[in-house]
Amino acid sequence: METKREKILDTYSGLTFKNRKDHVVELETDHTPQEITANKRSVPGLMINRGCCYAGCKGVVLGPIQDAVTLEHGPIGCGYYTWMTRRNKARGINGKSLIQYSFSTDLQETDIVFGGVKKLKQAVKEAVEIFHPKAVFICATCPVGLIGDDINSVAKWAKEEFGVQCISFSCEGYKGVSQSAGHHIANNGLMKDVIGTGTNKPTTPFSINLLGEYNIGGDAFETERILTKIGYQVVSKFTGDGVYDEIASAHLANLNLVQCHRSINYIAEMMKVKYGIDWLKVNFIGIKETIRTLREMAAYFDDEGLKKRTEEVITEELTQIQGDWDYYKKKLSGKKAGIFVGGSRSHHYMDLLADFGVETVVTGYEFAHRDDYEGREVIPDIKLDADTKNIEQLSPEKDESMYRRYIDDDTYNELKGKIELDYYKGMMKDMKKGSLIIDDYNEAETEDALSLYKPDIFYSGIKDNFMILKSGTPAKQMHSYDYDGPYTCFKGAINFAHDTFDEVNAPAWKLLTPPWNTEPTLEGSLGNSAIERGEQHA
Amino acid sequence: MGMNVTELNVNPCKCCTPLGAVTALYGIKKCMSILHGSQGCSTYIRRHMATHYNEPIDIASSSMTEQGTVFGGEQNLIKGLENLIQQYHPEVIGVATTCLAETIGEDISGIIDHFYQSHEMCRNVKIIPISSPSYAGTQFEGFFRALYGIVTHVEMDTAPNGKINIITGPITPADTRWLKILLDAMKIQYILLPDVSENLDGGHGIQYDRLPQGGTSVDDIAHMGGARYTIELGTFVGEEWSPAVYLQQQFGIPYSRLDVPCGLQAVDSLLNKLRELGGTIPTSIQKERERFLDAMIDSHKYSALGRAAIFGEPDFVKGVVNLCCENGIIPTAVITGSVCKGFEEQLRPLAEKAAGVQFVENIQIKSDMDFAGLEECMVKTHANIMIGNSDGRRVSRKLTVPLIRFGFPIHDIVGGQRLRMLGYEGSLVLLDRIVNTLLLQRNKSFRQDMYDAYYLPLVQNEPAVESAAAGKGMKVAVSYAEKDIKKRTQEHPCFTCGSGKQKYARMHLPVAPKCNIQCNYCLRNYDCPNESRPGVTTEILTPEECLNKFKQVKKMMPNLTVVGIAGPGDALANFEEVSKAVMLIRQEDPTITFCLSTNGLMLPVYAQRLIDLGVTHVTLTINAVDPKIGAQIYDHVTYMGVTYTGESAAGILLGNQLSGLTYLAEHHIVCKVNIVMLKGINEHHIETVVKKVKELGAQITNIMQLIPVKGSAFEQLPLVSNFEIMEMRKTCGVYLEQMMHCRQCRADAIGTLDNDVSILYRKEVLAAQQKASEAGEVQKHKNTCLKKRLAVATKNGMWIDQHFGQAKEFYIYESDGTEIRFVERRNVNKYCYGKENCGEKTDRMTRIIDTIHDCDAVLSLRIGNAPLTELQSKGIMAIATYDDIEHAVKKAAAGL
Repeated sequence: METKREKILDTYSGLTFKNRKDHVVELETDHTPQEITANKRSVPGLMINRGCCYAGCKGVVLGPIQDAVTLEHGPIGCGYYTWMTRRNKARGINGKSLIQYSFSTDLQETDIVFGGVKKLKQAVKEAVEIFHPKAVFICATCPVGLIGDDINSVAKWAKEEFGVQCISFSCEGYKGVSQSAGHHIANNGLMKDVIGTGTNKPTTPFSINLLGEYNIGGDAFETERILTKIGYQVVSKFTGDGVYDEIASAHLANLNLVQCHRSINYIAEMMKVKYGIDWLKVNFIGIKETIRTLREMAAYFDDEGLKKRTEEVITEELTQIQGDWDYYKKKLSGKKAGIFVGGSRSHHYMDLLADFGVETVVTGYEFAHRDDYEGREVIPDIKLDADTKNIEQLSPEKDESMYRRYIDDDTYNELKGKIELDYYKGMMKDMKKGSLIIDDYNEAETEDALSLYKPDIFYSGIKDNFMILKSGTPAKQMHSYDYDGPYTCFKGAINFAHDTFDEVNAPAWKLLTPPWNTEPTLEGSLGNSAIERGEQHA
Repeated sequence: MGMNVTELNVNPCKCCTPLGAVTALYGIKKCMSILHGSQGCSTYIRRHMATHYNEPIDIASSSMTEQGTVFGGEQNLIKGLENLIQQYHPEVIGVATTCLAETIGEDISGIIDHFYQSHEMCRNVKIIPISSPSYAGTQFEGFFRALYGIVTHVEMDTAPNGKINIITGPITPADTRWLKILLDAMKIQYILLPDVSENLDGGHGIQYDRLPQGGTSVDDIAHMGGARYTIELGTFVGEEWSPAVYLQQQFGIPYSRLDVPCGLQAVDSLLNKLRELGGTIPTSIQKERERFLDAMIDSHKYSALGRAAIFGEPDFVKGVVNLCCENGIIPTAVITGSVCKGFEEQLRPLAEKAAGVQFVENIQIKSDMDFAGLEECMVKTHANIMIGNSDGRRVSRKLTVPLIRFGFPIHDIVGGQRLRMLGYEGSLVLLDRIVNTLLLQRNKSFRQDMYDAYYLPLVQNEPAVESAAAGKGMKVAVSYAEKDIKKRTQEHPCFTCGSGKQKYARMHLPVAPKCNIQCNYCLRNYDCPNESRPGVTTEILTPEECLNKFKQVKKMMPNLTVVGIAGPGDALANFEEVSKAVMLIRQEDPTITFCLSTNGLMLPVYAQRLIDLGVTHVTLTINAVDPKIGAQIYDHVTYMGVTYTGESAAGILLGNQLSGLTYLAEHHIVCKVNIVMLKGINEHHIETVVKKVKELGAQITNIMQLIPVKGSAFEQLPLVSNFEIMEMRKTCGVYLEQMMHCRQCRADAIGTLDNDVSILYRKEVLAAQQKASEAGEVQKHKNTCLKKRLAVATKNGMWIDQHFGQAKEFYIYESDGTEIRFVERRNVNKYCYGKENCGEKTDRMTRIIDTIHDCDAVLSLRIGNAPLTELQSKGIMAIATYDDIEHAVKKAAAGL
């Protein structure tokens, strides 16, 4: 019999089938990774959800640094579209945050013909004079690389002229195969010119950096609250609520916590080589995952007081949510979900849903690499293709003056097997037989997955959100949380469950069929299942 | 683009060209679009359109990579077309270019030909190339570029069909539905291009179809070439991209381009045009018109409150401007992000006509603007309502001006696709939204405003009530209505050139000794009761002493209208004392106008508190608006506990001055800006300063001469002549009202500008007076001075050789009969140049006498009878003599 995977791939012909077949995997055994093809060029014409290199660099990694001007060099569109589009909240420095601004050189036709350097210089000057940023990040868009504007020399000039840090990022949209390339370029820039230049020394040994936390709907605020309550000091946060000086001092922390493995693992790896700082793959999304993370952190720092405090805080927080947790577990248990988010984040929400007894049956990533699916052990097997090789690979060396190890080699080796230290196990190991995993998913595949797996709710982005809703499945946006959140740690998990419950039980789902129609408004069993859900609740 | 910047776009009021192109393609039946470029373009556009329309938005991408930029993207595009056709089975595909494709010079038509050649079975799919690089415009231009691409690439059937082409720009699906209903109701046979009514506002139906099923079909479009007339709803798109113009040039179809039908007259025009073309106007539509007119009349009383900021795509903006103007809502700040020819030319006459009725000036109409620019325009024109897309919400929040969301994008609320503004009903819906927003705003603050303006002054005259209120811990914040501030300005001697300066007196309270900056021309450790210049005082008062002094002065000087704080340091560096003094005096006399002068450094901290205190007039000294120049003027600035020097000092000071000025002006505080003219430093920069401060809301500037003070860094700086200062004031007068009569007063000056009697009110003098009056004998103040002050009329500076009445200047000396000290030269014409400048009738003699009002005697060659009597009446002895100055002065002093 044709498997569900084969049904999905059936719609493709010839070359497209050949290309897509290795991106779609149906697990044959519980918790066992299978090889998947990832981080390859998308097939033109399929309704994919990937962004571009510029999006990863400007939109994801640099954009959330709240006291820097991130200046888009190019025509207006790219500047407009990265204007605070993700919902990364920033606390504001002295009541001011540059995140709510969009800065662009707004290139016109004549600039494309005669070059935009002059315009860029003046724009940097104006940005510095008016906004007094801590730094200016110049981000290139497609035409800039093609017309050959030398943004590097402009950055150098600006740094000398104004005495303000100015870094250029050649993150033209066509580079790489997705936004992932942009993450890498941004990571490189921060590593080369920012990290290691600061002097904000933490005051406790339990000092950490929070990497790959986007602070969507205040996620990082809640995480920071828990960490601070236990006695950790958050030296810096990357990719959400970022502050330039804090990032510059990141090398003074004792442990890096990696939340989103995809966008920021480069920095974690490079800091390990250069400064000797270990990194821990954490997950603050999900109650059990938060507990695991907190315990692993305590194990790393190996301090009795810290361990005791960790348990106290866990108990304290659990006590507060236990009633709600039980309630929503009862309401949601047994439901099935689909999740398509980002390059590492689907895994997080899968864990969170598992807390409430919801199984994820369909999932995938837009721009993940193989290690995000299968675990870091596959990294040596990944062959770099031309698209990846075109992105600069930094090989930092040990910085003798600043290199230090927080734990000795014996302790390190002993811990390595026990906790996710310098390691990420990937998503597949948490999935059951029969679950579907799609890399670089597109609209047709999503539609098929919906009808084959019939999830009760689908977590995704805005682009496929309305298509999923039209097909009769409740859908939630995970890039903005639909203006809700936070979803991290203990209380966040309850917020998430509450929102999910509301979506599944929205009264509208019960009203799909007009009284004069005896048939459901939707074909097949999708409409029926929605009605069933409604009746269940009623 | 904001007015501060030339190259930096801060918060764009526009999206990109391909977005518009794709939007238009959503009005075509069974059409898919593919963007030839990086995949980010389609992702971003899908994301933004999906948020606005709350519908699935499918835009394919040719997913160009680095390799494609080198070798061309033909293979990518061909593969993209193949997949798109296979997955969606469209009848039409629009291939829109992006910056990338256009920059590498892709030949889209060529690629499409190649595609057809190698894919025979795809020939039934109409593939349309559209040139839409982001650097060639905004979504508005992109929309029309797509329409143009469509009409130029569909093979036209030119057989006359009697239909009318209706072409629209970007209007909402709901308005498109209205348009179709209207055309049907008028029995017009039409072809609508595009028709986004279904595809961008679909229902939740039985089955979701990935391929858009609504919209205008290619078959219908093919008949546009045989239509009898074209109506294009929109007037701003260039003729080179106008489908109507193309159809006329190619097929000879006559056309009209009309405003989008928003507002009574614009809808009338459309209906009338359709009627001329054979349509009938049914009763139902006439009723709609009547209802709309009735609504206009019902709400006209409230609409006139509106000062609207309108922003977005040009045609939308014009529609709203039309609606506003005919309802008496004044469009004061009107911008578009497009570089739009004719925008200002078309809209200014409309807006100014509406503004003229209510005497509103300074209307701002600009194309190629961003939100930073809009904000500036709104501040300048005191806009109180915003109409435009969701991106205006930041400005709305910042300026606390309500925003009525319309246009693209609406992404912070739902329903952008269902908004209505067209037709009588749509106009009515929008008008109601505007008027109701204005009404709710009005209701929110009306009680308080009315209470403050009319009731508060009443109770403040009742000390019992006031103190009772204060005792209960009531907020003592005061805010004055704008009208009240105008009246106060007229009674303020320093802010008017009119009669005020003679009629009304002011007193400066030296309550602020500390300063937070060091200007190179300033020295505050000088203390002479007879020196008159800013920064000088003989004593520092506590807030309580201020109150006492105020009471004393007020008793003797009923025309005292103004209490000012002018140092000797900076008022805001001594804020606690200043605020206490102001509160005490306001309690004593609520009618007093408070003014204050500051360098502005601490304004960002204290501006609102000043307003709450009831300070209505603020003088800011801004000598430069360029930190490079500022750095030469200021030695150092102490801010938040850190001392800065050089350009960073000047930069901090400047930033705070400008933001402070903006804030105060926004809150209707009357701001005067003082500028000290410093030769070789800022004399060529003053014009720029004046322009800048005007832009931010200053009402008057006062360009002053430098008084070189011994010991200050600018001691040696060359003097600025009266002529030079007047020339500078004249030059700058073009931009902003100039103060011509500044006396550069002391920090403890008292009296009218021309007559400083502060010496009368010094602590020890007051004490002596007290004593004297207790002893029953009032002594004249001059006698209490140890030294005599004498004025000398001289031409050569050695001899008393000048007639009193012809004296252009006096030398002022002090002497006790044995010692003699030169004080200063006083120029009779220093402060006033007569009627044409001041508009007052002070005659020359009075001015001469005023110049020496504080002297005990005046020595001149000769003196007429009239001045003699006048001088005697003022207690000044006049001595006629011909002698050398030293001898004569000593002799006269000894004899006094």
